[in-house]
Amino acid sequence: MRPERVVAVSFALSVLASIGLAVLYAAGGEPQLEGALLGVALGGLGLGVVVWATRLLHEDEVVEERPVLRSDAARDATEETLADEELTRRSLLVRLLVGAGASLAAALAIPALSLGPRPGQSLFRTQWTKGKRLVDVDGNAVTPDMVQAGAVQTVFPEGEVGSADAQTLLLRVDPARLQLPDGREEWAPDGVVGFSKICTHAGCPVGLYRAESHELLCPCHQSTFDVLRGAEPNFGPADRPLPQLPIQIDDEGYLVAGGDFSEPVGPGFWNLEQDEGEDEAS
Amino acid sequence: MRVLGWVDERLGVASMARKGLRKVFPDHWSFLLGEVALFCFVILVATGTFLTLFYRPDSVPVIYEGPYAPLRGQEVSAAYESVMRISFEVRSGLVMRQVHHWAALVFIAAIVVHAMRIFFTGAFRKPRELNWMIGVALLLLSLGMGFTGYSLPDDLLSGTGLRIAYSVLISVPLVGPYLAFLAFGGEFPTEGIISRLFVMHVMLLPGLIIALIGAHLAILARQKHAQFPGGRADQRNVVGKPFWPGQVFKSVGLLLITGSVLSFMGGLIQINPVWDYGPFDPTVVSAPAQPDWYIGWLEGALRLFPPLDISIFGILIPSPFIPGVVMPGVAFGLMAVWPFVEARLTGDRDEHHLLNRPRDVPVRTGIGVAAFLFFLILTLAGGNDVMAIMFDVQIEAVTNVLRLAVFLVPALGGLIAHRMAVQLQGTGLGPGPPRTVRLRRNPRGGFDDHP
Amino acid sequence: MRVVVAAVAFLSAFTIPVTAQEPDGRELFLESCASCHGSDGTGTEYGPSLEHAGEAAADFQLRTGRMPLTDPGRQTQRKPAAFDEAEIEALVDHVGELGDGPEIPLVDAETGDLVEGQILFVDNCAACHGATGNGGAAGVGALAPSLYAASDLDIAEAVITGPGEMPVFDFDEHERDSIARYLGYLQTQDAPGGADIGGIGPVPEGFVGWTVGMLSLGLVCYLIGSRVKRTEEAE
Repeated sequence: MRPERVVAVSFALSVLASIGLAVLYAAGGEPQLEGALLGVALGGLGLGVVVWATRLLHEDEVVEERPVLRSDAARDATEETLADEELTRRSLLVRLLVGAGASLAAALAIPALSLGPRPGQSLFRTQWTKGKRLVDVDGNAVTPDMVQAGAVQTVFPEGEVGSADAQTLLLRVDPARLQLPDGREEWAPDGVVGFSKICTHAGCPVGLYRAESHELLCPCHQSTFDVLRGAEPNFGPADRPLPQLPIQIDDEGYLVAGGDFSEPVGPGFWNLEQDEGEDEAS
Repeated sequence: MRVLGWVDERLGVASMARKGLRKVFPDHWSFLLGEVALFCFVILVATGTFLTLFYRPDSVPVIYEGPYAPLRGQEVSAAYESVMRISFEVRSGLVMRQVHHWAALVFIAAIVVHAMRIFFTGAFRKPRELNWMIGVALLLLSLGMGFTGYSLPDDLLSGTGLRIAYSVLISVPLVGPYLAFLAFGGEFPTEGIISRLFVMHVMLLPGLIIALIGAHLAILARQKHAQFPGGRADQRNVVGKPFWPGQVFKSVGLLLITGSVLSFMGGLIQINPVWDYGPFDPTVVSAPAQPDWYIGWLEGALRLFPPLDISIFGILIPSPFIPGVVMPGVAFGLMAVWPFVEARLTGDRDEHHLLNRPRDVPVRTGIGVAAFLFFLILTLAGGNDVMAIMFDVQIEAVTNVLRLAVFLVPALGGLIAHRMAVQLQGTGLGPGPPRTVRLRRNPRGGFDDHP
Repeated sequence: MRVVVAAVAFLSAFTIPVTAQEPDGRELFLESCASCHGSDGTGTEYGPSLEHAGEAAADFQLRTGRMPLTDPGRQTQRKPAAFDEAEIEALVDHVGELGDGPEIPLVDAETGDLVEGQILFVDNCAACHGATGNGGAAGVGALAPSLYAASDLDIAEAVITGPGEMPVFDFDEHERDSIARYLGYLQTQDAPGGADIGGIGPVPEGFVGWTVGMLSLGLVCYLIGSRVKRTEEAE
């Protein structure tokens, strides 16, 4: 086909597709057809223009001298103009001017601190306190017999359903196989254990549970935590275990927290190990 | 031509325009890759403007009452609701959204390919170091554009991404918690973050990108392209075709074809189905959880890094800090100053307007290939779970293999590339002619290039 | 050794003569299951005890062809059932009599609530099986399979018995119906945005962005741009 004809046909196709697009829109639209028609409308126009340029325009190669960028004489003159005697001899004033400008910039940057509060104790604490009941996503208080072996559920402090900070995974394991760190012997009545659901690596919810091997897995970076060993990490980039929630059973038979988590929850930060709020909490 | 006359009488542009239209630019197909990136950006601005008119940057909870049945009656954020409305109720909204997202993926891909062309041909050398650095800044800003845009729908997948960004920020020693709280307005998840991301995505970042693209192109017009040796091209001339009409036609055609390819993709291939992911909920996660491809290398670095929380004098350096902050900082820093590093290493401080072929400078080529492979392996690692399914192997095995590969493959690949470059030198194989330099004795006893 | 045992178990499944009379569950069990699970179903070193498995687990494992095992040491996979319906029924009855496991649940996806199903699915299933139910990797070779082939009953049984590494979920009948209904929706609905390229998120999207988008545009550049002319230099 001759190039002129290719160009003409391409442009014609484009026109038809554009009309089609308008009709389609008026008729209610359909995403796949819209995309395809828009593609043809743009593509036909583009193809026509390109074929025109490559086949019908016969341009000869041109050689031009490359402009020289540097110009020594002009540079010297500019330097001279900039270094005006009137300016340079008042060096104290120049320094003051720079200093004043910098101070103003710093002062103007200060309102940026309004963007967020100071972290304070918020990274060290969650809403769990001693005696607070565990409730499921629907807000129902949880009893030990609601925790099935081989199951996993997300629980919250009573009145705090959906809390991003206090979300806790509740599981039941064989107490005989449970090897918790020293001092946590009373934290898992009948093998009911609770761990923070927030990964200690990058904070994703640790959503996967391999029931047979008793391992929790974070889908973001595959950190794996061994429930039987107090959620110690055994694969992936997480270096700290999931903080454990001390669990007790209250007089009415409901599960309650024995206090806040064993460590601050979530991703690490520089002073995580220096819990400044220790005194205040005890 | 009355319009031209009208404008000329007021602005005096005719002579300038004449000069501009006749201006000669060296021409090579690989010079068009940067244009693809530019045109993707044009399409992003066009589709993005449409989307902005319907999007609501607000995390206030609303009840979804649109046509997507599984979500009807659920409480979702206003942002998520508006994205659902764009997808299912605004006529041609879904196509616009999908074209926008595909354009973003191809935009950054084109920037990367363009940057590789510049690198391997040595086009960043004096006098073009500034434009190289502007290009690196544009790449960084585009990553920021991509990430903020990916997060705006406030769906479960992007919320997980934001969560990781927060965790990386908080990991910075001494100032991390303050930085994270300033950026997010408090402890994650915060209500204000969506509107902040929106301001970044539709005002600050695009403003900066437009300004820098302007500078990038102005500098290009001033310096003109470097050119491949061969034919009549030499260091002091510019061989090519005039800007008007051929090059303008080709560029306009490329813009239209870029739009065409992206329209086909936006119409026919589904991208980011936020209705499947559901609204963001900080206590829920879905798998596989990945960012868009251009953040994949960061995600991969986080996945591969060993479990190392380092404690120095009671200051904890959490394991995301090195792969999430130090590594990208070093990588982009090195990339930005590479022209100066190379000039110092080679002692070559001359102006260069003739491009290298990759084989001409084996060391640079080797380093470039190694850097490319490093990022490639990290990007693959960002999808280690998907690879585990695809190849039916254990995810842990994939991770461990990649932990080794991320060092071995770039080292080996770089050496092989260097070796190949050395062997190809002077063979005349492959693209481009063998370079012959004719010398002429000058009166002072030295040698000049003989044109 | 384990391979041999499993192979024998698997082959024997096909050699049972098809007869008109009622299959005997106990006999079938001894022939095809006892080598791993023990003749009294209390388990051996090759297979777990079935005392608490119940009819639901037996029905799920046998109907979806996961049992008898063909590839020991690897996760069980869906394949054509090794037994016919009557045989499965007999075996299921027999396993049910071994202990106090769950019965085969009733399921009626029609009565389920789509919205509740979506919430339950995202909260409980999507972390492993993926947001679109297309499967995912759960670590250490454990694959959460794609749910596109799962029937309503498969889903209900899996939820209450937790096959393999899957946890057990304490959902009531209506909740199970709702999950089945949402999954049915995912299985039957076309992707509104076009080809769903796997429905597993940004990885295939990035791949398509490069191979379809960038590659084709690079090719366009190559075709419309000029190339260095080698002939000129040769002179």
